[in-house]
Amino acid sequence: MSTHARDKPAIQVVRPIALHTVVIVIGIFVLLPILYGVLGGFKNNQQLSTNPIGLPSPWVPSNYTDVLLSGDFWIQVWNSSFIALATTFITVGVSALAAFVFARFAFRGREFLFTVFAAGLMFPFAVAILPLFLLLRFFGLLNNPLGVILPQAAFGLSLTIIILRQFFRSIPGEIEEAATLDGCTPFGFFWRILLPMARPALATVSVLAIVGSWNNFFLPLVVFNDPGLWTLPVGVQQFQGQYSSDTARILAYVVLAMVPALAFYSVAERHLVGGLTTGSTKG
Amino acid sequence: MTIVLFILPALVLFMLLVLAPIALAAYSSFFKWNGFGLFPTNFIGLDNFTRLLEDEVFLGDLWRGLLLIIFSLVIQLPLALAIALLLNQKMRGRAFYRLLFFMPYVLSEVITAVLFTMILSPERGLANELLAFVGLESLESTFLSEPSTVMYSLMIVMTWKYFGFHMILYLAGRQSIPNELTEAAQIDGATPWRVFWHVTLPLLGPTIRITIFLSVIGTIQLFDLVYVLTGGGPVHASETMGVTMYEFGFKRFQVGYASAISVVMFLLSLVFAIGYQRFVMRRDTEGAITNMRAKR
Amino acid sequence: MSLTRRGVVTLAATALLLAGCGSSGEETPAPGGSAAAQEKVTVEWWHIQNIEPMQPVWEAMAKEYMAANPNVTINITALENEAFKAKMTTVAQSGESPDIYQTWGGGVLQQQADAGIAKDITADIASWADTITPAAAAAYKLNGKTYGVPYDIGMVGFWYNKALFAKAGITAPPATWTEFIDDVKKLQAAGITPLSLAGKAKWPGHYYWAYLAMRIAGLDALKQAAAAKSFDNPDFIAAGQKLKELADLKPFQNGFLGANYDTPDGQAATMGNGKAAMELMGQWAPTVQKDTAKDLGEDLAFFPFPMVEGGKGSATDAFGGGGGFAVGADAPPAATDFLKFILSAENHRKEIATGALLPVIKGTEDAVTSRTGKMVADTLAQATDFQLYLDQAYPPAVGQQVNDSVAELIAGTKSPEEVVKAITETAQSE
Repeated sequence: MSTHARDKPAIQVVRPIALHTVVIVIGIFVLLPILYGVLGGFKNNQQLSTNPIGLPSPWVPSNYTDVLLSGDFWIQVWNSSFIALATTFITVGVSALAAFVFARFAFRGREFLFTVFAAGLMFPFAVAILPLFLLLRFFGLLNNPLGVILPQAAFGLSLTIIILRQFFRSIPGEIEEAATLDGCTPFGFFWRILLPMARPALATVSVLAIVGSWNNFFLPLVVFNDPGLWTLPVGVQQFQGQYSSDTARILAYVVLAMVPALAFYSVAERHLVGGLTTGSTKG
Repeated sequence: MTIVLFILPALVLFMLLVLAPIALAAYSSFFKWNGFGLFPTNFIGLDNFTRLLEDEVFLGDLWRGLLLIIFSLVIQLPLALAIALLLNQKMRGRAFYRLLFFMPYVLSEVITAVLFTMILSPERGLANELLAFVGLESLESTFLSEPSTVMYSLMIVMTWKYFGFHMILYLAGRQSIPNELTEAAQIDGATPWRVFWHVTLPLLGPTIRITIFLSVIGTIQLFDLVYVLTGGGPVHASETMGVTMYEFGFKRFQVGYASAISVVMFLLSLVFAIGYQRFVMRRDTEGAITNMRAKR
Repeated sequence: MSLTRRGVVTLAATALLLAGCGSSGEETPAPGGSAAAQEKVTVEWWHIQNIEPMQPVWEAMAKEYMAANPNVTINITALENEAFKAKMTTVAQSGESPDIYQTWGGGVLQQQADAGIAKDITADIASWADTITPAAAAAYKLNGKTYGVPYDIGMVGFWYNKALFAKAGITAPPATWTEFIDDVKKLQAAGITPLSLAGKAKWPGHYYWAYLAMRIAGLDALKQAAAAKSFDNPDFIAAGQKLKELADLKPFQNGFLGANYDTPDGQAATMGNGKAAMELMGQWAPTVQKDTAKDLGEDLAFFPFPMVEGGKGSATDAFGGGGGFAVGADAPPAATDFLKFILSAENHRKEIATGALLPVIKGTEDAVTSRTGKMVADTLAQATDFQLYLDQAYPPAVGQQVNDSVAELIAGTKSPEEVVKAITETAQSE
């Protein structure tokens, strides 16, 4: 690079500037809607219509404090968190067991079974939502957190099994042989050796499951009728209807609903990106 | 024994909640059913499907889906690729920008849609105010309120939400290409364009094929964003198969007909996935398998 | 040893999953009989009066009731109209409903009754059923059984801005469709948007088609069409043509196709802000205008939908409805008792005093004090016949199709003939 650039000093100066300009413009495109939401939440409705672009004057914190002081918001945060964690626990637990078998055992029909699971990748909720709803009604799981947790776990299996199998395969067979010689049962090997070694992969699939569950809208929308069970996305959508005439308050609600996801993103960014890239490039 | 016990939980969950619903949808699609009671009883054969083929809204869904796919392939993915290659350059704040651009992907579709309904509101939305502010009044629009502009508005929102995701995949793909290869080409005197066209792009092939796959599957199932943003309107101008299915299944109590839409969505995904795997991604999977063998 | 333990763990986990699927189906049945009086009961109440002035009034009444009946807890969920309708569809499908919930009666309520989520309350309210005015109660009586009670009754008509009419040189509200079209043109000539319409919500648009159908074909033809499941009648096509003539004048506000009813840039706000001269809406229009924009005060007035020259319908036939409450199939007796409480003459007077509702209880007619409320009540009192909103009167699929097709007609993507065809096809597919 450097030898190449030495001949063209002008470009050396212009290029980074051009590069930065382009990147900053894209950055503004990405940030502006969010900034509008954050600032809009600090305005009252009158300011929003007379002064939609500028800074709030005066700053009105009451939209935010009202939301934070209302029980509904926290109930939804709790519901979303609980459902996300339970989903993740079940998805990862069940998938790890299956992935272990797919990775380390040879048996008839293994590839067929694996393909069946992998095919699930193609079918998120939208395709199955209606029959799923009827099925959940049949099981009496409507208006029950399990009615969201179990289907989410089931639909999360495909990706999780694929990623974990990939990882389990990469662990050398010698380790297993050594463990077996030491008297480890297959489950013992799985539990005491494989899982601890697979921590990075487990973190990755967990993060994917959490994000998927956290953002899921369609399923909780149709499963939960009781407002006490609503998750954040459903809550946001209902709040928009409820306070349809109070734009500033909706913006405040939306911004606050973003916070947990963004906080989680800033902590788990590496795992999320890692998971998405391995999940999609090797699936 | 171990095998059975280890796989059983996954298998039960998967069969009960993934395969059974699909089977149930297939079954109900042959019935006229308002959804009440345990099972449908009024068998009508393929009537739901023939009705689908005459339903202008549904045919429109297919057309709009195709439009969105074309948009993804022609604009969104190339844009994401360009930005990825840009961010692959050495520059200050690269990590920050990467973090920033990917951020919208983490937000839920609902939050995105609610935010953008406000931004694209014709009366006092940010978009029109900004256009006026920079002196582009002529571009002011009613965005989501007009059948002629709603799809473009939807595409803008989709770009905002998803380009970062594709960008991240391209970045990962690009970083797995050894720099020596592109540098060697440069030293040989190839122009940056030729390097991109003859070296980078072909080596990014597997990643590109994956992102196309994800884009198409995602478009077939698009629901959340459209439902909250426009409800499929105005007058069906932004409706997707998912929205039509919801409309009939949950609002009009024509569960049999809605099931037929589910079945078509399923078949489209399946046929596309199988065809794509077979004819487009075959090379990649083979490569992956041989790689794995080589590693062992 | 560890093998058996592992087996047990996995089996237990599987059993847990399966048990989870079955357990919650066995919801405890509603406590029956009078012995339940002292048991702790919770009444889930879903209503759509989520804004001032009604929301606090009902909240206060619920508190008062709970104070008098310490064993009853009333859980209020006040939903916005669209949100409620969207939510209610999944509720109906789920087979479990709130104990008290908003209804407009008609075919939608009928379907809820068929689905077993709405309770036949004929016997429960027998002691006070005769306090309700028969006209208001009619929409909730299906095949001789009562599935709900009204809390409001009214009609749809044109709300207009007198100041804007004066500005366009219009001295009296139009009595015929021709005059109406002329006035629309006059308003446009004066640079005023004639009509405000919520195209996204769709139901406000269907009012136009329904009224035109009533005026041209007559109310009996509309009722027969519903019964015969065929709208294939030249008069209904004519109704569509009249509406198309109107839509072709582009009389609606900018971006109306994407407008909601009660959002800050919606139909009611456009009207309330004086940015349009008329809206075709029900008795609640002034309340919502006030909530989303501002009170037009003395400038706001009401005229009934004009007659159509040569039409078979009477100009005094009214279209509209009110609001009522249905009772969930598993609701405790306290639910109907609470309905009796909020519909007592004394409490109903308080409700009417807000100006948001019109009387459904005999002897409370004099409680209407608001100027706009009186306008609707007086017009309604002279009504010769009455048609419930089509999207509630018909089964959901047909009602939705009416809304949908009329929206397409107004947007110019469907012809009057196609509207009639689509509605008929849907009616026959039921």
